[in-house]
Amino acid sequence: MRLPVGVKVGAFALFVMGTYTYYANSIPQIQSKPPAELSLEGGNVTPAQLVKAGEEIFKTKGTCEICHRIGQKGTRAPDLAGVGARAAKTKPGMSARQYIIESLLQPGAYLVEGYPNIMPQVDKPPIGLNRSELWALTAFLESLGGTPDVKLDDIPKTAGAAAAGGGAAEVKIPGDPKAGEAVFTGKGGCIACHKAGKIGASPVGPDLSQIAKIQTPEYVMKKILDPAGSGTVAGFPKGVMPPMFGQSLTAKEYVDLVSFLMTLK
Amino acid sequence: MVALLTAFSALPALAQDATRDPAYRAFPLIGSRLAVWAIAQLHLNFAAFILGVPIFAVIIEIIGWRTGDARYDWLAHEFVKLIFAAFSTTALLGALLLFLFVGYYPKFWTYMTSIFFPTYWVYALLFFAETFTVYIWYYGWDWLSGSRKAIHVGLGIVSNLFGTAILLVANSWVTFMISPAGIDESGALKGSVWAAINNFTWMPINIHRLIANIVFGGTIAAAYAAFRFLGAKTDEERARYDWMGYIGNFVALSAFIVLPFAGYYLGREIYAFNQTMGITMMGGFMSWLWIIQAILIGVLFIGSNYYLWLGMERIPGSERYRRYVPMMIGILAFGFMVWATPRSMVITLDEARAMGGTHHPVLGFLGVMSAKNTAVNMMILTTFLSFILYRRANRVSTKSWVGIGMLIQWLALGLAAAVVIFYGVYGYFVESLVRIGFSVYQVMAVLGAIVVVMAVDIPMFKGARSTGAIRWGTIAPRSQYVLILLAVTFTWLMGLMGFARSGIRQHWHVYGVMRDNSVDAVTPAIGYAANMITVVTIAFFALVMFVFWLGGLAEKGKAGGHGHPAAMPVFAGGSDAEPARVPGRKS
Repeated sequence: MRLPVGVKVGAFALFVMGTYTYYANSIPQIQSKPPAELSLEGGNVTPAQLVKAGEEIFKTKGTCEICHRIGQKGTRAPDLAGVGARAAKTKPGMSARQYIIESLLQPGAYLVEGYPNIMPQVDKPPIGLNRSELWALTAFLESLGGTPDVKLDDIPKTAGAAAAGGGAAEVKIPGDPKAGEAVFTGKGGCIACHKAGKIGASPVGPDLSQIAKIQTPEYVMKKILDPAGSGTVAGFPKGVMPPMFGQSLTAKEYVDLVSFLMTLK
Repeated sequence: MVALLTAFSALPALAQDATRDPAYRAFPLIGSRLAVWAIAQLHLNFAAFILGVPIFAVIIEIIGWRTGDARYDWLAHEFVKLIFAAFSTTALLGALLLFLFVGYYPKFWTYMTSIFFPTYWVYALLFFAETFTVYIWYYGWDWLSGSRKAIHVGLGIVSNLFGTAILLVANSWVTFMISPAGIDESGALKGSVWAAINNFTWMPINIHRLIANIVFGGTIAAAYAAFRFLGAKTDEERARYDWMGYIGNFVALSAFIVLPFAGYYLGREIYAFNQTMGITMMGGFMSWLWIIQAILIGVLFIGSNYYLWLGMERIPGSERYRRYVPMMIGILAFGFMVWATPRSMVITLDEARAMGGTHHPVLGFLGVMSAKNTAVNMMILTTFLSFILYRRANRVSTKSWVGIGMLIQWLALGLAAAVVIFYGVYGYFVESLVRIGFSVYQVMAVLGAIVVVMAVDIPMFKGARSTGAIRWGTIAPRSQYVLILLAVTFTWLMGLMGFARSGIRQHWHVYGVMRDNSVDAVTPAIGYAANMITVVTIAFFALVMFVFWLGGLAEKGKAGGHGHPAAMPVFAGGSDAEPARVPGRKS
């Protein structure tokens, strides 16, 4: 039996694409995950923990390893082995800590001879390290041949302000997330229907564990005051969420609740 | 069109509302990312086809017009017929993509609108102009023939200008997402929208896509011809589609030879915009993607050459050049292997210890850019040599200076090969920043050789003696599967490069400006991407077959096809037979 041309050509095309697909699935599979945010402000951190966190930043979110090596001369950027000791003598009048911080925030201020001015400011997008991360990274770099002595206050308050990316800048909610959590589990009664991270387990309403990641504060605020007018998430029954929170919650409780919800990422 | 304009005019209102809406919505079942991915890739495939084909269709029409050979006029019309049927599908997919952005990524779309809103109107108007120019070009083929042919050709040129302008506008949005410019730290437009349009990667992608569209159009048209060849009932039909497939492949190959150079330019600009992005692209999580790209491009090079060699078998006199084929196979195969060699291997600790590191002690040296640039430039030179041999297969120059001419040509090719190899080897002994500059010398040597060889070849074979007519339609059927292989491979490669272009932004909608906070912020691994690319490519070919079938329905039952004077010219006797004449042409 002669096969129609369309069948033969189709089978051939599928074989070709199948071969490419099989090969692509056979080689190393590497994903690029969004970096997690590190927050150490207000916490008790030992120098050892700080250095460890800094090393993690160095290898992941900081993307430092793309150009810098430790104990190996790079063609794009200097070897960082012993930088903790060397940094104190690099610029007159500057301690190792000050030099490292300057190098991270203003890489072009001083260039090691023989290397181009290609390093990005690490507190600006796309790397966008926040103050905690800069603190930890500085401690790690100091530990390479020196002793970490950097304090959070050594990192300028303005550093990392634009880390999230201008177009997606977060709106600061002036509430107290802790008090908001109490409203969520108590007076608001939200826990009866919603899960929020480790709190609650009810499947009646949508899981809010990552609500801040997928919704804007404006939406969350409107949804609390006008549930029906804000639409219902697909797969959940309409009209279940009570419409009276605008009357039952005080202004402070309302803002605290929103503030808590916006911590759920 | 009306729906599209209405949608555009409503955008400011939608944009304002979007600030009160969620940043993301979830597309049912497959999620928003896959929905956008599928429709964007399909839209790009169709758009590349309808923008690429008219560029060479109008050139072929001009050849037919100036030489009076009706076959070219028929062929140009056939090509435009193919894109004509695909036009509305492209527009529908574009509208669908817009709706997906507005509906499922409202915050992102609001931001893009805040930067690019004036360009939306330009885009819509250009699309309007392009559509109607192509309509007149296609439907006016008979009406504007004879003494009015110049007007018809002019319409073809104008439709190409509109098409290219559409490409430039759409590219400004895409490239802004990769390399944003003209904005302040908060992401707001600082001054004119032109600064956002003219970002680092805009012009390189314009050039790269323009050339790639021609390659893509050529391969799809050739695959269409191959399909018709394989199903042909008569020798005449086989001859016609053999010729059409040859021209389609010739167009694709001619543009394909210069495509890697446009790729270098794009890569260089990505590094210039942001070193981190460039290094992530080439040496980070995407590094293995380039191994797959190397394999695909290797298949394209070897397939294109193999088709030319098979084609030479239907040309009397080509036997003279068969002795060069083993040498060319050797260079292509070795170049392919070098290009597909990874620099570092993902291996176990024991294997790494046994090998002395993650780089193979011998083959690891072939995995670096010096070796790869040398390999690809040698493959380009070899492919060009194949084309030159095919071109002169049934011709013998009658010029008295043929010996000197040949000497100059071989010297040009030899010198280019020497320059390419010299800088390839020298590159191992210099710093990477110096090495990057060497690729420019290699490219210039190859381009220079191509120009010199052609500058000698054209006058040398003008009025040449023929050793016999090309026996169109007698090519081995397996050659037609090569054409289909090239079309499938190039379409798959387009999907892969689309993933690379989008993936280098990683977890950013607009790199460094607007972060992707959706559940899909993870950039998937190559296997996942390959599965998706294959599914969409299958969908694309299924749609193309359907669209071509629809387009062919109009021809059913009509003797002589569309009815324009040049329809269905006679091919018997091959290319040297007296061709049918284009009416109105006195040649």
